[in-house]
Amino acid sequence: MKTHRFVPLLGCLALCVVLAGCTDRGESEQPVVVIYSSVDEFFARPIVEGFQRETGIEARLVPDTEETKSTGLLNRLIAERNRPQADVFWSGDPVRAAVLKLKGLSAPYRSPAAAGLPREFADADAHWTGFSARARVIIYNTDRLSRDEAPSSVLELTDPRFRGQACLANPLFGTTAMHAAALFSVLGKDEAERFFDGFAANGGRILSSNGEVRRRVAAGECTVGITDTDDFNVARQEGRPVAAIYPDPDGMGTVVIPNAVVLIAGAPHFEAGERFIDFLLRPETERLLAESAAAQMPLRQSVAVPAHVRQLDSIRPMELDYDSLAPLLEELSRGFLKQWVDRNSR
Amino acid sequence: MISPMLLERPGSWRWIGVTLGFAVALVPTLPLVWRAAVATDGFSVGDAFVPALGNSLVVALSVAAIGWIVGLPAGVLGGLYAFRGRAILIALLALPALVPSFLWAIGWSAAALRIGTGASQALTGFPGTALAFCGMAISVVMLTSLATTRSLTASQIDAARIAGGERTVVVQSCRHGATTAGLAAGLVGVLTLSDPGPGQIHGLRTAAGEMLTSFSALYDFALAGRQCLVLTAAVLLLALPAIAMAAPRLSTQLLARQSRAPVLARNRRVSRIAIGLLTLLAFLFVMLPLTGLLLPLLAGAEILATWNALTRTGWNTLLYAGGAGLAAVTFGIVMALLAGRSATLGAACLAAGLALFLQPPALIALGFVFVGSDAPAWADPLLRSRLTVCLALATRLFPVALFLGMRAWRSFPSSWSAAAAVHGVPARTFLRRIVVPMFGFPAGTALLIVGLLATADVGTVLLLHPPGQASLPLTIFTVMANAPETLVASLCLAYVVAAVMVLVLIHRVVGRIVH
Repeated sequence: MKTHRFVPLLGCLALCVVLAGCTDRGESEQPVVVIYSSVDEFFARPIVEGFQRETGIEARLVPDTEETKSTGLLNRLIAERNRPQADVFWSGDPVRAAVLKLKGLSAPYRSPAAAGLPREFADADAHWTGFSARARVIIYNTDRLSRDEAPSSVLELTDPRFRGQACLANPLFGTTAMHAAALFSVLGKDEAERFFDGFAANGGRILSSNGEVRRRVAAGECTVGITDTDDFNVARQEGRPVAAIYPDPDGMGTVVIPNAVVLIAGAPHFEAGERFIDFLLRPETERLLAESAAAQMPLRQSVAVPAHVRQLDSIRPMELDYDSLAPLLEELSRGFLKQWVDRNSR
Repeated sequence: MISPMLLERPGSWRWIGVTLGFAVALVPTLPLVWRAAVATDGFSVGDAFVPALGNSLVVALSVAAIGWIVGLPAGVLGGLYAFRGRAILIALLALPALVPSFLWAIGWSAAALRIGTGASQALTGFPGTALAFCGMAISVVMLTSLATTRSLTASQIDAARIAGGERTVVVQSCRHGATTAGLAAGLVGVLTLSDPGPGQIHGLRTAAGEMLTSFSALYDFALAGRQCLVLTAAVLLLALPAIAMAAPRLSTQLLARQSRAPVLARNRRVSRIAIGLLTLLAFLFVMLPLTGLLLPLLAGAEILATWNALTRTGWNTLLYAGGAGLAAVTFGIVMALLAGRSATLGAACLAAGLALFLQPPALIALGFVFVGSDAPAWADPLLRSRLTVCLALATRLFPVALFLGMRAWRSFPSSWSAAAAVHGVPARTFLRRIVVPMFGFPAGTALLIVGLLATADVGTVLLLHPPGQASLPLTIFTVMANAPETLVASLCLAYVVAAVMVLVLIHRVVGRIVH
């Protein structure tokens, strides 16, 4: 029978594939650096490839998925703690970097390339260093709301005029989790809980991710939402009817989320890891990230930015102790935020 | 000389072998199960887990029921009649089984957003989650029913036709395939329980979503392990009685032998019904979500970026699929031979196989990561390589090969082994000339099914792939959050085209099912 001739062939082919492919490259002559990154691959890969071109060090990038859709890379780092594969963790926010420090997975490293970066965006013990930042902004649909009608504070999303019109990503994950912890840190427990309960009572919707917030607001299904500047910029570049507001300029300020780079304790390629960190913290990288679709704000005032990217000194950043947000977030994720999500999702 | 009767000999060695086999498969889950067991905070699974489990079970049962009700007649009609566009319609309807569920969920969500706010809100929660899974359920049940119908003998079909015309042929064929189709629908239902994607995208709290929260928001591996154990126990409680009830019928059905292959009949009235049904299903469950997924391409395609992603990930994608398929088939067939013809052992294998299916990919993958992290560097080729990804995928998916292998072995008359033994045929010759060709078709089918399921399993690849060795679905997953929609749509198109190419391969080479 034809099938029976085909099957052994298919089996042999699969065996060849396995034998040929599963013998991985060992440590070659070429130096290597392994980078785990929770920054979107679309933005991270060009930078990593630039490092490889410039230094000749082979850079192996392991990008993360959206946290809400699969068990993320941080779990892999935690599970690999006894014999890490990663040299560097390039985090999209400082809270995950602080989690690594809390769990004893990071090593201190003061990079000479960090000169000029503000100290408030770095760990005091040099376990992580912040650079180019995103901000948490209010995104609104310009077909449904004029600039004058748009909210200027996140707290306004509990206002009855936005009843059933506002959305927010699941605050147990990603930058929304950090934003929630920041609100608790700045507003205090009672007022922050009042905000979240008011948001839900006002018919606010909890979506799976910031990207989903962008899509729903751009499509007009929601009028306003809270998302990150890079999400907003993607919608802007696609010509969607959206605008962004950096909230609370006169109040608590806007949450600023710098990238954070961490050297992994016991990294197999420690020196190459340090070189990658030096590369990442250069003003040039901040410029590239500002010019990319991520539209990230450089933390150095001296770096020139395109017209659509705000400089850090043009907004009022929320005053945060990023190191203290990690334990606070852990407490909130097991307590109020988990219960709030459980109460308000189906 | 070893006698071929060895394969038929009962004994405690079968139980020992099967137990050892499943023990090996369960080893990777032990690190996390152990953490769950020794946790100091009792056996709490969290307040929200039980309602979420309820939601998951409702989704699983609905998906299985819809898949069974719709997929069974579609498969039977496709297996009995020749009609215009048959091969294309069947290929289209097979597509949902080849593309990861999260892509269908995104496709539905995007299509609904284009249709309007009402459609989008209507899909929120249960309807959207169930719809995203329904395509896969219908696809798998349809293909299973098609294969079951094609296993009927021509004389059986002729007899039914003479007794009551086309209606009787269709009804009796549906009855013939109902149990196997039910089992296939049940398996898809079980697979939905460990898949968090569609629930997260459409805003439904599910058990898999809760486990994901325990892993990714709380970093509480012990809680995730406990939740997983509860999920497994709940499903086994529900599934075991069904398996017990279905087993006798399955055995009867599986032992039927084909003597004369049936020919596809031509009947204008039934053909119209078949075309109408299959076209409607293809439109609803394939074209609609696919349109939502690919519509951004109207604004232009990102050809260069897609090509770069393909060249970077294509080989690894093939390798993970092929490697997982091969490992799963080898292990599954050996286990099927060990299970032999014992009904009790067969039921035990079904239950244990279902339990393995239920494990969230992260549980097995993180187990491998823990073991790899504690093992010495010389074990890296086994525990930290692309081979590890294949083994981890095969560990969870080998029950597919086991079930198909058991089916093949039980449809094989034991008198053949006896006859071979009486005539002094050596076991080696018997295996080479009779057993291996007989296992060829189920092994090939299992290789393809496991390969496809492995390709769609993003979680395992994310946690285990060696740095720089990602797969295409993982790449789509990692860029879809923030990349422009045109790039995501281009990558999705590349994936769908690859899936179609696999379908063409199946159609041309393993055309026995379709023709």
